[in-house]
Amino acid sequence: MSEILAIYKKEMKTYFNSPIAFIVISTFLVITNWLFFDYGDYPFFAINIADIRGIFDYGAIVLLFIAPAVSMRLISEEKHQDTLELLVTMPITDMHIIVGKYLSTLVVFAIILAGTLIAPLTISFVGDLDAGIVLSSYIGFFLLGATYLAIGLAASAFTRNQIVAYIMGIVVIAVFFLMNGMANGSGLIATLFENLSIRFHYQNFFRGVLDSRDLLYFVSLIFVSLFISSTALASRKFR
Amino acid sequence: MIEVQNVTKSYGAFDAVKDISFSVKQGEILGFLGPNGAGKTTTMKMITCYMPPTSGSITVDGLDVVNDSMAVRRKIGYLPESTPLYEEMGVMDYLNFIADVRKVSADKRKQALSRVIEVCGLQKVTHKDIHELSKGFRQRVGFAQAIIHDPEILVLDEPTTGLDPNQIIEIRNLIRELGEMKTVIFSTHIMQEVQATSDRVLIIDQGQIAAQGTAEELKASIAGQQHIDLVLRAAEKAAFIKVMESFEHVQLEAVDVQKSGDLAVGLNVDAGVDIREKLFDLALEQKWKILESSPSAFSLEDVFRKLTK
Repeated sequence: MSEILAIYKKEMKTYFNSPIAFIVISTFLVITNWLFFDYGDYPFFAINIADIRGIFDYGAIVLLFIAPAVSMRLISEEKHQDTLELLVTMPITDMHIIVGKYLSTLVVFAIILAGTLIAPLTISFVGDLDAGIVLSSYIGFFLLGATYLAIGLAASAFTRNQIVAYIMGIVVIAVFFLMNGMANGSGLIATLFENLSIRFHYQNFFRGVLDSRDLLYFVSLIFVSLFISSTALASRKFR
Repeated sequence: MIEVQNVTKSYGAFDAVKDISFSVKQGEILGFLGPNGAGKTTTMKMITCYMPPTSGSITVDGLDVVNDSMAVRRKIGYLPESTPLYEEMGVMDYLNFIADVRKVSADKRKQALSRVIEVCGLQKVTHKDIHELSKGFRQRVGFAQAIIHDPEILVLDEPTTGLDPNQIIEIRNLIRELGEMKTVIFSTHIMQEVQATSDRVLIIDQGQIAAQGTAEELKASIAGQQHIDLVLRAAEKAAFIKVMESFEHVQLEAVDVQKSGDLAVGLNVDAGVDIREKLFDLALEQKWKILESSPSAFSLEDVFRKLTK
């Protein structure tokens, strides 16, 4: 556990000693809040309904571009600076490295999440929000971000170039996100694609329902991504 | 302390290291000598648990590098060739991070840090960020990182590459100093370095051990042979090589045309043969003018060149 903590601490220092965390967090909040309150034919104040679902709809798309920016440097930069070679000869396992780094991204994301609370807090003064739906929506949004970040981390483990990691992350997340749109009808393939799609499972949280299938989906996607990341580090052994 | 037995490391069809065996005794400083790409780094990466050997076994203090990997890692301090440092970190942040990962306990932390700062001469740079440091200081921070947990074994991959002559001497002194208490393996492709620092030399070439022993032993292994450096005027290279081919007991080692048009020649002469008179007669006959002639004893450099040609 102390091994994971050591890696985590180091990553947190890197995020907050540089402008990375600040830029990423503020970019997300500015764009998402703008989209929600002021964008399109039916901005929040025009439709006059106390519903914050827009935050999570727009947020899911904005996060698609923001989350890989948080995770892109995690392994690729270690490769680029050749520090990975040292890190993997330390008395820690590859999984310690991966989990430590992943935890630090979750904390950055938690700050983003806290920033979005502005919308439900202000709206609760002027209208009636369904607290249950807000809560389940936030759980869904957290799982969504956590999944994006895990996929982004895996992308980072396959390259020594941050830009490549960033774009690879976006592409893989986008494929998973949009998968339910790739096959129509009610056949086996369509059902399969639907069930593998992030968007499909994400939607359920806004109905105020916590379905174990949705929870399981996100958690497994996270575990698989972390496992792939760790395997990518271990690949040095099989070359 | 370290036992390497019949170790082979293959990358696909290419064998970076082929069936090598050697051992390092406790407290010994072993110099790994070899041309670039000889397999020095690959061998070190296997000892430090970066990757396992394809076949064969390596044990460190009786512990297997594959099965007891974590225990082995705790015993070793490693400075890779690239001197891995986090550019954006401060020097103290970096050392603290390594101490965290190495689990240097809180009560020993302060002492460990001040020890490595003193040993590596980092007093002046503790407040700086790593990207501000000169190459020499970067190398020392790399050293500090490798010894922060006071390991029994140090593995240093080309620790003096890219340093200026003064820094090289400092690092060599550091290696010797550390070597008094610890077992050290370090690699280099510079001859004087092993001669100056190591107890024992292991010459490695094309993934195989070409020779091992003390510097003196290796020199003695080709003793008896003589080496002569000549500078000739009015000799043409191709013609010279042709003539020398029929000259008995002599092997041409190098023939270079100097800027002045003179020919600089290195000759190896078989043991117990005196070629001086014959050489004089030949020069007279060919109308070569001998400008310089200096016989020399073999150095470790010659051993290395002979073995790795």
